[in-house]
Amino acid sequence: MINDKRLIIWSIIGTGICSVTTQLLTIREFLSQFHGNEITISLVLFCWLLLTGIGSLAAKPVRRLSVAGYSLLILIIALWPLVQMIVIREFREVFFPHGTSPGFYPIFFYIIISICPYCLLTGFILPYALKVMQEGQYNFTSGDLYLTDSIGDITGGLAFSFVLVYWVKPFLTIAIASAFLILIGLILLLRSRRYVFLMAALVLCSVFYYYSTNRAFEKLTLSNQYGDVVRYVESPYGRIVVSKEGPQYTFWESGVPLYSDANIIKSEEKVHYPLCQQDKIENVLMVSGGLGETLGEVSKYRPAHVDYVELDPNLTDTALSLGAIKKTPFVEIINTDGRRHIKMTQRKYDAIIIDLPDPDTFQINRFFTSEFFALAKKVLKKGGILSLSIEYAPNYISEIRKKKLSTLYNTARLHFKNVMLLPGEEAYFLCRDGKLWPDIPARLKLKSIRTSYIEGFFYGNITTERIKQLRDSLDVNEYINTDFKPRLMNIVFQEWFEKHGTSPGYFVAIIFVLTVIYLLFMKREEYILFSTGLATMGAEMLIIFAFQVIYGYVYLKIGAIVTAFLLGLLPGAIVGNVSKNKDTRKLLVSEMLLLSLLILFFIWLAYFKSELPPLCFLVYGFLFSFLCGFQFPIAAGIIGEKRSPAAGCLAADLCGASVGTLATGTILIPLCGLQFAVIFLILVKISSSMIIMFTGKIRD
Amino acid sequence: MSRMITRKEFLKSIGFGATALFWASTGFGFPGKDNQKGKSIKGEIFVGDAPDRPSRWSREGYYYETVGETVQCQVCPNRCVLEPGDRSICRSKVNIGGKLYSLTYGNPCSVNVDPIEKKPLKHFYSGSLVFSIATTGCNFRCLNCQNWEISQKRPEDVRYFELFPEDVVKQAKKGNIPSIAYTYSEPITYYEYMYDTARLAKEAGLKNVLVSNGYINKEPLIRLCRYLDGANVNLKSFDDRIYRSLNGGTLEPVLNTFKTMHQEGVWFEITTLIVPTYVDKPEMIKRMCGWILRELGPDYPLHLLRFFPRYKLTRLPATPISMLEELRELALREGIRYVYLGNVPGHKGSHTYCHNCHKILIDRKGYFIAQYNLKDGRCKYCGTLIPGRWMEGARRRA
Repeated sequence: MINDKRLIIWSIIGTGICSVTTQLLTIREFLSQFHGNEITISLVLFCWLLLTGIGSLAAKPVRRLSVAGYSLLILIIALWPLVQMIVIREFREVFFPHGTSPGFYPIFFYIIISICPYCLLTGFILPYALKVMQEGQYNFTSGDLYLTDSIGDITGGLAFSFVLVYWVKPFLTIAIASAFLILIGLILLLRSRRYVFLMAALVLCSVFYYYSTNRAFEKLTLSNQYGDVVRYVESPYGRIVVSKEGPQYTFWESGVPLYSDANIIKSEEKVHYPLCQQDKIENVLMVSGGLGETLGEVSKYRPAHVDYVELDPNLTDTALSLGAIKKTPFVEIINTDGRRHIKMTQRKYDAIIIDLPDPDTFQINRFFTSEFFALAKKVLKKGGILSLSIEYAPNYISEIRKKKLSTLYNTARLHFKNVMLLPGEEAYFLCRDGKLWPDIPARLKLKSIRTSYIEGFFYGNITTERIKQLRDSLDVNEYINTDFKPRLMNIVFQEWFEKHGTSPGYFVAIIFVLTVIYLLFMKREEYILFSTGLATMGAEMLIIFAFQVIYGYVYLKIGAIVTAFLLGLLPGAIVGNVSKNKDTRKLLVSEMLLLSLLILFFIWLAYFKSELPPLCFLVYGFLFSFLCGFQFPIAAGIIGEKRSPAAGCLAADLCGASVGTLATGTILIPLCGLQFAVIFLILVKISSSMIIMFTGKIRD
Repeated sequence: MSRMITRKEFLKSIGFGATALFWASTGFGFPGKDNQKGKSIKGEIFVGDAPDRPSRWSREGYYYETVGETVQCQVCPNRCVLEPGDRSICRSKVNIGGKLYSLTYGNPCSVNVDPIEKKPLKHFYSGSLVFSIATTGCNFRCLNCQNWEISQKRPEDVRYFELFPEDVVKQAKKGNIPSIAYTYSEPITYYEYMYDTARLAKEAGLKNVLVSNGYINKEPLIRLCRYLDGANVNLKSFDDRIYRSLNGGTLEPVLNTFKTMHQEGVWFEITTLIVPTYVDKPEMIKRMCGWILRELGPDYPLHLLRFFPRYKLTRLPATPISMLEELRELALREGIRYVYLGNVPGHKGSHTYCHNCHKILIDRKGYFIAQYNLKDGRCKYCGTLIPGRWMEGARRRA
């Protein structure tokens, strides 16, 4: 018969499966609920790790232990993710006015409040499990705990990233991921003969499964936010929702309205401003934005071929089925990354129309960089035109928007002889080596093309004075935007903070002070775990963002990256755990290897920036986390269970991880670029190596 | 070993959780979007944010009261009470040494020449141009503000032109532009600058146009009306709760503004942005039309504008055109004679139709006039007097 020890080990694995799946689902949920950018990703991870760390610390003084209590806690861990998901969706409407995009602090507080119970509990449960084992006289160390948890984390990460994300919606994913833990929890309750609790747990589990497998219920939880939901697709790239208001369909991508019927102004501006500049249009490339009237406007030029590139096939399929994209013989829909298409295609285009939002993610920034303009120019015919647009306010150009417009202008001017700005609903950038005509209605008249908006409104809205004002606002000394130094993204972030009248300064200052206080009170060896946690999460952020820059679809691969990092922990922990002599030499060697990996990343970033196969990033993540996993049992062994129990070690690791996530993901990468972030991580690792060198002999 | 929680506590938590899930399944019990409606987003006074001394572009306020060194601005219903060193909600007024100063006098940050239809005004010298100015500041906090970069900024935070009232008039005259519009941000916050400019403009034979949220007290408004020729005033909704939660204001003072302008004989047009889920209920529009008819009569045009996601309100869809059409029909049915649709290029709802014979009076192609069938302000076909301010031979023809 299975004993309690084995069941508790299985439950630790189950907790890992459940918590990693919930973490990934939560990140995706927040990306859909709020600003879908790197700041949100790192804020969720930061809060998650911090709260989990606090949960671990909370277990430190606990003396009252019972298997029944433990089983109840793991059952709550298994069932709570569904409640958490519902809370995130529904309470958004309570905390924020309907339809609004909140700013940094409200997002932060909302994240921390909604994930708080779950994270505290998952942080608490691991050291608690260890104490229960030790109280039952089972031989189980901190290293064993770390290792077992890693097995669960990896299983959850793999299952989510390679299976569940493709096939299953979030609620069902929770139902599947929690199944194993629920089973173990119920068996443990049965064995401890707490029949009342068992009955109650059975009722709760039935309710849980009824709702988590109910598709209609899941759709219902979205209706407050979206209204009448007619389609709901959880694509690997994001959440696609189609809502209906009267006869109008609105397509939402990750919580933002992507397209509503009859947006004539935008369709005409984005198509006619560039296309009317050309004498003849044969081939057109559209990167995103092909829904609705757009293709109809393009067809007025009778092109021979239009390539419409959209990353997410679910979006174009849904749009086709609802008639938001009309089937047109000369239009080819290509579902791939736009930049990749431009790199691979053999076709030459007369015009490339980029219709993307402002670059507030690395993924989108890739279409506004010097590297991209160089690529685009290669696939343009001689005299071909590239068009893209960016948000601005027609009545006043603020300093921040001046910077934004100037950066994009200067970047485009590096590659095109002429760049003309038109102050439409957005600021349109027309880039071409040949002549550019600002009088769009006159060009359209020449071509006998009729329009609804441009014909009637252009001369009133886009006056010569307004064109001049926009042109005069440009500063030729502004920076250039590149893939790895995303100045434009940085400016868009500043603009976002300005819009909400907030600054992350206070937040960063408070976290800094708290970190310093924590560092002062922690043991030196714990600092090694803290720094390793920090470096690992920092490296994970680096990989996520570098991946985003090169491939542009991190939403899909974020699970794979997180899993690669988790995957390395297990063998690392095994090797570290079986190692008989837990001495500082081994720790120092692993420190040197971690430093080497970081330096390697820096060299690649600074000098090569070549496009590496995705596998390289995953292997890098694996190696990095292998060393991190290796360090945990070694450091824990050196410190000794008495001096710092598992709770202290776990807390140091998790708190370091949270600081690493925040420092790199929220501050350094978006505001200073990837290189600065690597330098920061190198410095942190140098500091921990020095501590090992100076304290090594004392401990040995 | 002792238990973690008592049995009673555990059963209680089960009951709580099951109840929550049950409510969830029914779709009730979740606090929905209505929960936020009524929660005011009204701005706050900026304590200690005033400059040390008045600048070249400061003027002592025209309407304020004092108690000791404390001042209370009397221009708008916010009636900000400012201690020395404080700045008003609109960011334009400050208390310096016990006196109220406006910091927005002669320093507009936006100066443009626009078609009059852009304000929108469709019964006010159609086809003419208007010299448009704005300084920073607003007494509202609209979540969908399209000019937030000036309306939600202090005058010191932006680049500006130096254009004192006489310069504004000179420039408009020089450009042969017949009207001046106080627009873009909220002109009520630069009342002193607007008032002085309007007075000089009137003397110079120019028309004055106010484009505003109408959140102004009666006394300053009556004084301003002496020089006003036209206005477009937003009626952002007909629900005080929505005014509070979407705009940070209240409804009543805006309604009073309409009544005052009507009594003072200022020509105005009413604009309502149809924001999905907030300002799109036919019942509300019906009540609104009822009030307009009762208090102002059927002649003032009503503009229903299509909403597009802006500023902080970016997670709402654009207003369905069918909804706009439905609301336009409703308003016409209720008895408003001129109801226009805005932000829908090419729609027939942008033309002017005679309220008597229903023939097209002004056929508009955007800002252009393709047909102009008015003579001496009357319908060319049936001779009915068309409310508004007209000039012969509209200038911008297609």
